[in-house]
Amino acid sequence: MKKTIIYAFILSIIMPCISYASSIDLGAKATQLAGEIIANPTAFFYEFQQDLETTTPLPPGKTYGFQTGIFPTLLPATYANLSGKYRLHGEGRISPGLPQLDIAGGYWNMIATKIATEQSKDINSLDFSGYYIDLIMSSSVSPKIRTFYGYKYSQLKASLKLNKAVDIAGAQVTSFDAGFRDDFLIAGIEHITSINKFWSIQMNYGIKEQVLASKISWYGKYFEFGLNIYPEGILVIHPVVNFHLNF
Amino acid sequence: MKKVIIFLIVLTVLFFNSDSFATTGEGSKTFSPYFDMTLSEGAFIPSDGNFFSGGNIKTQVGLLTKVNPSNSIFGLYNLHYSGPGFQPQDSKQFQDRSLSHGFNVEYRRDIIKSLKIRPGISYSKEYRRTGANEAWENGLYNMDSFGGQLAADYYFDFDRDGILTFQYLTRDVKFPNYTDLLREFQGAGYSSEVSGGLQDQTLNNISIRPKWNKFFGGLTYIWQDYKNERVIDSNGTYGATRQKDENITLDFGFHHILSILEMYPVISYTMHTSNQNYVRYKYLGASSTNLLSGSSDVTFIKGNYNYNELNLNIPVDLLITSKWAISGGINIVKRDYTDRPPRNSNNNYDFNSRQSNTLTTISGGIRKQLNDISLFRINYSLIVGSSNNTFEKYLPYNYTGNSISIAYQITY
Repeated sequence: MKKTIIYAFILSIIMPCISYASSIDLGAKATQLAGEIIANPTAFFYEFQQDLETTTPLPPGKTYGFQTGIFPTLLPATYANLSGKYRLHGEGRISPGLPQLDIAGGYWNMIATKIATEQSKDINSLDFSGYYIDLIMSSSVSPKIRTFYGYKYSQLKASLKLNKAVDIAGAQVTSFDAGFRDDFLIAGIEHITSINKFWSIQMNYGIKEQVLASKISWYGKYFEFGLNIYPEGILVIHPVVNFHLNF
Repeated sequence: MKKVIIFLIVLTVLFFNSDSFATTGEGSKTFSPYFDMTLSEGAFIPSDGNFFSGGNIKTQVGLLTKVNPSNSIFGLYNLHYSGPGFQPQDSKQFQDRSLSHGFNVEYRRDIIKSLKIRPGISYSKEYRRTGANEAWENGLYNMDSFGGQLAADYYFDFDRDGILTFQYLTRDVKFPNYTDLLREFQGAGYSSEVSGGLQDQTLNNISIRPKWNKFFGGLTYIWQDYKNERVIDSNGTYGATRQKDENITLDFGFHHILSILEMYPVISYTMHTSNQNYVRYKYLGASSTNLLSGSSDVTFIKGNYNYNELNLNIPVDLLITSKWAISGGINIVKRDYTDRPPRNSNNNYDFNSRQSNTLTTISGGIRKQLNDISLFRINYSLIVGSSNNTFEKYLPYNYTGNSISIAYQITY
């Protein structure tokens, strides 16, 4: 009986959505998204950079770790990337209750831009890359729960040099250097569900550009699965897969 | 820079917090952290116009410091992002979004066993913007607020959580970017009037709230004294009187579980009055000799902002298992303006009636308790907005909307 009620309820939710789906103009939405990307391309690519950044503390007992972003960073965005994480202080090591302190950082470079440079006669150089560094302080508030707070500096760089000038909106352009950077404050909570299995939720707030990002992550010994939400972004929800090893 | 300093202070406090966890037992903690985060993201399909998406993020990070059994200090940082979504009539556009930071510090002192006082200070900063390319810093309605509070809790029934709370709040509210565009167009001469600060105000709030056996209610009186904004006289020009707004709200509700039925209905009634009037210009540069005609190009409306509002919210959760629940509910907001006539589609007033807006939301969904501290919701809502005001060039009044949203909440 309970199952019947639940199924009926789910159907009652889905049916109105299906009936309204026909009224959705996906073409107009796609045009709008394309316009937003053109208006601020660095902000769009900056969101992918945040997908590969590691902003959770090392698991208790681990000293260092490595991470590489797989989706949507390496695939399909061709961000070759590597991050490292090192524990500066284990919780309670120097003094009882003193929080764990981790330092982390990483670098990425877009492979597609290298291929474009090699295959195009007009492009002299095209570089799309970024780096970040963060400090994460974590403290146990119960045997299964840690809260963590931190600071992150994150920088994206985009530069283009052409062999000859091209006309862009009436201006002759031979090169440009653009970028996006912000100082982030981080606050989150981590819950251990079983041995080597965690989930966490965190907020990243960029204080210069008011960049907002929320991350929900489930992670184990090798992989991290996440949902990153950029409420002011172009693609608001990013499903994320990262690979990591901690020692 | 201010935000960084305040956050570093919070970090420092939290840093010291952990030491006490290690040295004290669970029941005698000197420091108790508080963490609450809610994420929600939804798709919105209005009856007229394109579908859009929007989300809400609420994050609260707090720390309760028990100095001794009778004295404690509670600090709380609050971040709230509110994205695009369906909005009540006469409020804001669907695409408007806001971002606010709030800092509160409250000192709690037990005078006697049954009486506690809670003085405190508060600072908040809110950004608002209407377009994706508008910088947060430039929002017309960006707001800074600073003030204090004095609250007293009287415990009259310890067994059934009977508390009577009296609270007084005061806020100095500033809108640094706000300006009156019409005044700028019409009289570039008086620059002092248009250089911002027209909405700056002092806000005061007195409330008395009883709570007993999971029943609660309250009477709240709010008054806002505007520092610079003046009242428009019947001749359509600003006079010498400064604007003053008042709100009186009565509310009642309860939160009870009957078998597998969890109910938490709330009903409230608000009476809002303002001495501010309104002049409607049909177009830039419009003029009229008869300001009291509803169809003239310029019309004066006395008491335009006065209204009475009834808000009825009845959420119900059906607790299927200890982890799963089916949720449903209805929310009705009915606002009746006491003096403002409705407008027709040609922007003409009908003085034979008064504007009345109703917004009804019917929702249903599923809630799952994921573990001790987190839950997940999926929710569908049908929103019906109706009004006898049919002038909808700037704000929608009559619309139907569907939304489906997911929400994730964690509380520790």
